[in-house]
Amino acid sequence: MEIRLENVWFTYDGSSYVLKNVNLEFANPGLYILMGPNGSGKTTLLKIISLLFKPTKGRVLIDNADFWNMIEKDKQEVRSRIAYVRDKPILVRGTARYNLELGLKLRNNVEVDKSLINNLVKRYMLEDLLSKPASKLSSGQAKIITILRALILNPRILALDEPFTFLDNTRTMLLIQDLAKLVDNGSIIIIATHYMHRDLRTRAKQITELVNGEIIHT
Amino acid sequence: MTESILTVTIRSIYVSSIAALIAFLSSLALNAAFSRMSRKYVEVISGVFEALVGVPTTVIGLLVYMLFFPGGPLGTLKLLYTPHAIIIGEFLVALPMVYTYMFRHYYAMRDTIRELVLSLGCPEKKAFKLLLRELTPILLSAYFVSFSRAMGELGVALIVGGGIEGYTNVLTTAIALQTSIGNYEYAIQLGAILVSITIMLIVTMKILGERVLWRLD
Ligand SMILES: Nc1ncnc2c1ncn2[C@@H]1O[C@H](COP(=O)(O)OP(=O)(O)OP(=O)(O)O)[C@@H](O)[C@H]1O
Ligand SMILES: [Mg+2]
Repeated sequence: MEIRLENVWFTYDGSSYVLKNVNLEFANPGLYILMGPNGSGKTTLLKIISLLFKPTKGRVLIDNADFWNMIEKDKQEVRSRIAYVRDKPILVRGTARYNLELGLKLRNNVEVDKSLINNLVKRYMLEDLLSKPASKLSSGQAKIITILRALILNPRILALDEPFTFLDNTRTMLLIQDLAKLVDNGSIIIIATHYMHRDLRTRAKQITELVNGEIIHT
Repeated sequence: MTESILTVTIRSIYVSSIAALIAFLSSLALNAAFSRMSRKYVEVISGVFEALVGVPTTVIGLLVYMLFFPGGPLGTLKLLYTPHAIIIGEFLVALPMVYTYMFRHYYAMRDTIRELVLSLGCPEKKAFKLLLRELTPILLSAYFVSFSRAMGELGVALIVGGGIEGYTNVLTTAIALQTSIGNYEYAIQLGAILVSITIMLIVTMKILGERVLWRLD
């Protein structure tokens, strides 16, 4: 699966452009890093890549087909292979476990892979959390739950907005390893971040910088 | 001869719970329908509903009366002085309130839930169900708010119901009637029942909200 942004422009208010003529290509599996100052448009760009926002101008091509011109059924097929994790976690009412399995539940995935979930839970030391109400989780706990909730879906394209804020060192390292594993399995991972961990830099396939809605360096 | 307190209470609960249910379902449908419209229009419509919350129940009673009195546009339905007329009137009394209550929460939550569902690669149509689940405590209290409003109003019940014993007499009309004929003890008992039903509902909701709903799986 590959994704290409062609002359993408985006505006929230109809007057000032937050993204200006962005051209980007994610053709091969890898860790792609998106950097840039606050307000430069990273989150907006990730939402366009994750197909949450439609560009004001320009095209988003999935395997060379214009996503926003697809019929509903094809759109859904494409969407089912993409996941996005927000910078500020969204948790719904219910336990941490309910939130962790939300994506699988929404997909009516009857064969929820219990052992995969249990392994992840152990790995990230979340056993004691699972029965807690989501509203009572700490910031880092909430964050990791929302990241794992997306990882479990085994997406072909995974967009992560500031995934490391609130995470401790141990879990940051674990997450970088798991992301690398996902890349080895053929996924494209796009991360917007300010925090450039050493491990992340060495594993990155490409580092892109965004300033004022424009890509200045690829 | 006066009617037993029990039958008046049951009639009150019956009439108000149906009126509240219709108001509840209507405002849910309105919110869902409006969510396709542009934000600007929705704000205007919702402003109108908000203003309607303050309309006195006697005015709504008068309106329903004019609709259903024998020479009125819907007079042939012969609904005046029936429990149905009270249900229709109380529905109108409760609607603006339950709509306004639902609206803010619905809008605040809708976009977030939509984003969440899409970001997990799921079809947008899954969002409505998740939204309802997320709003369950709000929806429950919206229903109870409109139920209490319907239970406690007098204007509609008196004007279009007439307080006919054994037929359209509800707690509020009974209180008014018994007070006017000096039967204070009976009136006070009715009042106590009315207040305790409302209090019981609020307490039940609090317990439900804190003990059950947050853990709902
Ligand atoms: N919902 C919105 N409505 C209007 N303007 C917005 C909205 N969201 C973001 N913006 C504006 O778009 C610009 C880019 O925002 P964006 O969130 O994409 O930046 P960012 O690079 O992610 O910043 P940060 O590093 O702070 O997360 C900013 O100027 C911001 O004010
Ligand atoms: Mg951002």
